[in-house]
Amino acid sequence: MTSGVFTLGGAEREAVLAPALAALTERHRRACPPYDRILDAIGARPPYERVADLPWLPVRLFKTHELRSVREDQVFRVLTSSGTTGQRPSRVFLDREAAAAQTRMLAATFRGVLGERRLPMLVVDSRSVVRDPALSARGAGVLGMMNFGRDHTFVLDERGRVDAEAVKGFLARHGRERFLIFGFTFMVWLCLRGLGADLSQGVLIHSGGWKRLAEQAVDNAEFRRRLADECGLSSVYNFYGMVEQIGTVFLEGPDGDGLYCPDFADVVIRDPETWQEAPPGVPGLIEVVSTLPTSYPGHVLLTEDMGVVRGVDDGCLPGRRFEVLGRLPRAEARGCSDTFGQGG
Amino acid sequence: MPGSEVTVRFPAAETVPVEVLLAQVRGRLETGDERVRAFLAAFGRRLLRPALARRHPELGSLGFFLRPSELARTVEGLGGEHVRVPRGLVFHVPPANVDTVFVYSWALSALMGNRNIVRLSPRSGPVAGVILDTLHEALAEADPVIGATQRIVSYDRDDAVTGALCAACDLRVVWGGDDTVNALRRHALAPHARDLVFPDRSSFAVIQAAAWSGAPGAARVRAAEGFVNDAYWFDQAACSSPRTVFWVGTASDCDAARADFADHVARVLGERGWGVDAAMAVEKRVAAYGLAADGVAERVEFRGNALADVTLVEGAAPPRRWLGAGTFAHARIGALAELGALVERRDQTMTHFGFAGAELDELARGLAGRGVDRMVPVGGALSFHRVWDGVDLPTEFTRLVTVTR
Repeated sequence: MTSGVFTLGGAEREAVLAPALAALTERHRRACPPYDRILDAIGARPPYERVADLPWLPVRLFKTHELRSVREDQVFRVLTSSGTTGQRPSRVFLDREAAAAQTRMLAATFRGVLGERRLPMLVVDSRSVVRDPALSARGAGVLGMMNFGRDHTFVLDERGRVDAEAVKGFLARHGRERFLIFGFTFMVWLCLRGLGADLSQGVLIHSGGWKRLAEQAVDNAEFRRRLADECGLSSVYNFYGMVEQIGTVFLEGPDGDGLYCPDFADVVIRDPETWQEAPPGVPGLIEVVSTLPTSYPGHVLLTEDMGVVRGVDDGCLPGRRFEVLGRLPRAEARGCSDTFGQGG
Repeated sequence: MPGSEVTVRFPAAETVPVEVLLAQVRGRLETGDERVRAFLAAFGRRLLRPALARRHPELGSLGFFLRPSELARTVEGLGGEHVRVPRGLVFHVPPANVDTVFVYSWALSALMGNRNIVRLSPRSGPVAGVILDTLHEALAEADPVIGATQRIVSYDRDDAVTGALCAACDLRVVWGGDDTVNALRRHALAPHARDLVFPDRSSFAVIQAAAWSGAPGAARVRAAEGFVNDAYWFDQAACSSPRTVFWVGTASDCDAARADFADHVARVLGERGWGVDAAMAVEKRVAAYGLAADGVAERVEFRGNALADVTLVEGAAPPRRWLGAGTFAHARIGALAELGALVERRDQTMTHFGFAGAELDELARGLAGRGVDRMVPVGGALSFHRVWDGVDLPTEFTRLVTVTR
């Protein structure tokens, strides 16, 4: 893996990001009145000496509120996420500059593992997910990744069944050179292992979370071991990212020893009781920071994912090395306004 | 036909088709029936056992409500010139989440001599299980008519079952909010039958600032404990739990009283070890930050995860929705009468501190039914009363026969 955007060690990164994010905080404060009101109400004010001192927003605010730092007529794209059932989707507002930056930095992040040129690409999904006019988050994810490949071949047919013939054809054309495989973690687990195909030249990039695999007691180590054993697939990269920080992905190192932060981003693990930064080894809520969100105040976000820093400057890439441990459950109240209608 | 069956949980039995359930519920009781009183009193006595009441304080309150003297007061309070008789078959739909509500509703209806079918959510919490076990203990010593006339059932969402129960009942009692009421109203009742519904409500507290600051230390501690009970027992989501606290007085009096009140509440929370988990902590941040983003809140303060205090912008409408367990909006008003302009139909319980009875009477008359059905001292929000949401339940659970001699 060439270094590209994975060059900054912990201290160096802190020195670059803290002032950049503090400046971004003030910029959003001037440009986004609701954001300014939040920071006023919680008493946040500079100086912010460290990244961990910056005020964070709960990521769910992008579902409940319209937060943008550009005029309505400067909005170039509005991204939406699929909420869980009954929830509104997140809305993320990009102007031309932010949209261009996210595309450019995403490419830079993957360049280390994919190289400069577009690789032939196997998509572990169905073509129908990218054709749906109301593009799902899954469809948008697939479409975004398709930029990094060529000769896109879908592993599933339009009806969601494994299309062994299509895969065979793809491998006959490209199976002896490096090629890209992309899919959601659970789909990859379900669909690739039974193919009986030689994927040893493939580079797998996958994301989407471990919840359904955890239900089957499959962790990352098992995932990697079985893909290597059963498909010869040894070049495997998980990533973590969210639409609310589009363009920023935290990419797994080649040895599967954790997720790494690109130079323009970092994570802070917070103890959900004290909200202070948790030391390496101690799990907490994941806060993601990135300098990419310039058109909306999404540069310092508290996610609803639990995670843990495994080490700093001690892995195959510099900076923090972390792991995502799973999503917080939704808070439930024992109230009396409870609905009979919701299948209770 | 599968899908139109119900699981009978009291008296515990197997799964039966809804038609069989309806055929099984028979027997005759009279209003204030001695056999029901004996059964309820035995049940209530068991709920007051110290070990149980300590573990589930809400069961202690329920046991208190079912004391023989309390039952006698309810029956004797009916009186009047007419002969009071049961309505017949009452179908109760309590909320899934407040485990004890179904018992109050059902117990009063049984005391009035009705046959009852209570639909208990399959998602009901652990306390519901304790209640069912205790009911069975009491049933073992009860007159057989209890087992014959009373049923608690569970079933997953099933329009056929709900439709059959609605068509068969003489009174339908729906707790649990607007969505539940609307969902149930799609099912027709018999022409003579009635609906008794409890839609979404919200509640607030009002504190006379100077009275707070002038109250003896012990009174303030007691009030803070009562406030914590009101708010935290059901994660502040019970319809009678306060969400907004109105402070009455001058700005400086209110600031001083609020600060002292927050200290007291935080201390009670600390002593009791009340906490909220990470998911609830995030929920509260989302809600409180959202109010700030909307320009409704000017200040948001957290004392640990358990207590979040939100200062409303002057003139902002107080939020009525749930903001996560232990999130309180605060607003200042100059005089109690100013509540007249703020109260809405959906406001249910006003917990108060520091006001004279005459002031409260005057406010109640001034509001003239536009909102607020209960005014109770801080600490009394969750005390169930036979008059609830402005409705006299024993009256609703009975019919009157006119006998002119």
